[in-house]
Amino acid sequence: MRDQPTGDLLLETARDLLREEIIPALSGNQRHAALMIANAMAIAMRQLQSGDDAERQELAALQKILSLPESGASLSQSLTDANRQLCRLIREGRADAGKTHDEVRDLLLRTTRHRVSISSPKYLDNPA
Amino acid sequence: MQENLRQALEIFIARQAGAERVEISESKLLTGGAVQENWLVKGQIVGGKHAGALDAVIRTDSPSCGVAVSHNRAEEFALLKAAFAAGVTVPEPLWLCVDKAVIGRPFFVMRRVDGTAAGHLLVKDERHGGNRVQLLEQLGMELARIHSIRPPRADLDFLEWYEEAPALHAVNRFRRYLDSHSIPHPTLEWGLRWLERHAPPRGEVALCHRDFRTGNYMVDDKGVTGILDWEFAGWGDPLEDIGWFCAKCWRFGAKAKNREAGGVGDREDFYRGYEKISGRPLDRDLVRYWEVMAHAAWAIIAIQQAERHVSGEEKSLMLALTGHIVPELEYEILTMTEGA
Repeated sequence: MRDQPTGDLLLETARDLLREEIIPALSGNQRHAALMIANAMAIAMRQLQSGDDAERQELAALQKILSLPESGASLSQSLTDANRQLCRLIREGRADAGKTHDEVRDLLLRTTRHRVSISSPKYLDNPA
Repeated sequence: MQENLRQALEIFIARQAGAERVEISESKLLTGGAVQENWLVKGQIVGGKHAGALDAVIRTDSPSCGVAVSHNRAEEFALLKAAFAAGVTVPEPLWLCVDKAVIGRPFFVMRRVDGTAAGHLLVKDERHGGNRVQLLEQLGMELARIHSIRPPRADLDFLEWYEEAPALHAVNRFRRYLDSHSIPHPTLEWGLRWLERHAPPRGEVALCHRDFRTGNYMVDDKGVTGILDWEFAGWGDPLEDIGWFCAKCWRFGAKAKNREAGGVGDREDFYRGYEKISGRPLDRDLVRYWEVMAHAAWAIIAIQQAERHVSGEEKSLMLALTGHIVPELEYEILTMTEGA
């Protein structure tokens, strides 16, 4: 159990205060710096809120495509290892066509879309 | 600027300009890139053929180290001279000093040009850069003049030479970097595989600017006053620069169809200016290939920038946030290669 409010809520509240009270009073380089800070806080907040569901799904999909056994390593280590194998498969042309192509494309679309939704969600709202 | 540095500069400029003496009355550190420092210096040149007002920019190596692939000041000076001689609108390069004894690091002096380069202003407001049709035509002409610089060139012999197709050369370079990085990037690998499979063969190689985009040229209310930031230039496929300029990641958020060229104007105006000088039609379909390349190249640079922060080499929120541009660049690569 973590004490309330948790980190994501703290970040959200702090960021709102920054945007409503501080940034309007700033100009020039300081304003630019404060906007960057607000952006960094938003990314961290979304990362905390999203938990690791997407990463677990990503690992499951990778294990299926690469026929990997479930590993005892940590989630992040397993993901790094599996994604390295995926990189090799792509580079060697084994995902150029057929069923593997479609599976890998779908996985990459899903994971990349998720990463965009953390780093810059507006990008997905306004496809140009 | 410190007194002793100012005096050293005055003596250096006076000697180079064949002047009696030089008086610097004003100097100011301009907001520069992460790689260099730029100082504005104003004053008087007394005597000699440069006699009159001194209104120049001193460009030095940054005291902290920069991006490994960028050129040093002596090389950048040679590039500027080559571009100036080819008729490209650049700040006129005046004098180079490689002797570190003068101000502690190498630098060169170039004539100051007026205007703004800020991408977000250019995209929003036509007062910066003037009429869009003319601006884009002019930019196309500038780029074609850069590409009129062809190998072999003894004055540019520091530029890397290679025999393979420029596109494959880039793909191999990016892969080597990714192999050295601690985090795998499968989506980028996907893009690189596509770029490898669709790579155009080696054609005529020309001097590519490699960062020719909105934000790196200066404008006043009438048009272009200077093409800046030559530190990544090298031999390559001319279409690389066209793709970089037009790629979605360099449009500063501009969305309209008639703003696809650098976020400021219409592709066809840009292409027309280019063709007017090069005398050859541009292959529109191949430009699209190089726009995918542009996203891959920018993603690699963004990963490198973030790495400078993560490794502790240079702690900076700006560099840290640059790492978070990578997902949207990768998403764009997927969209362009898979029609997602």
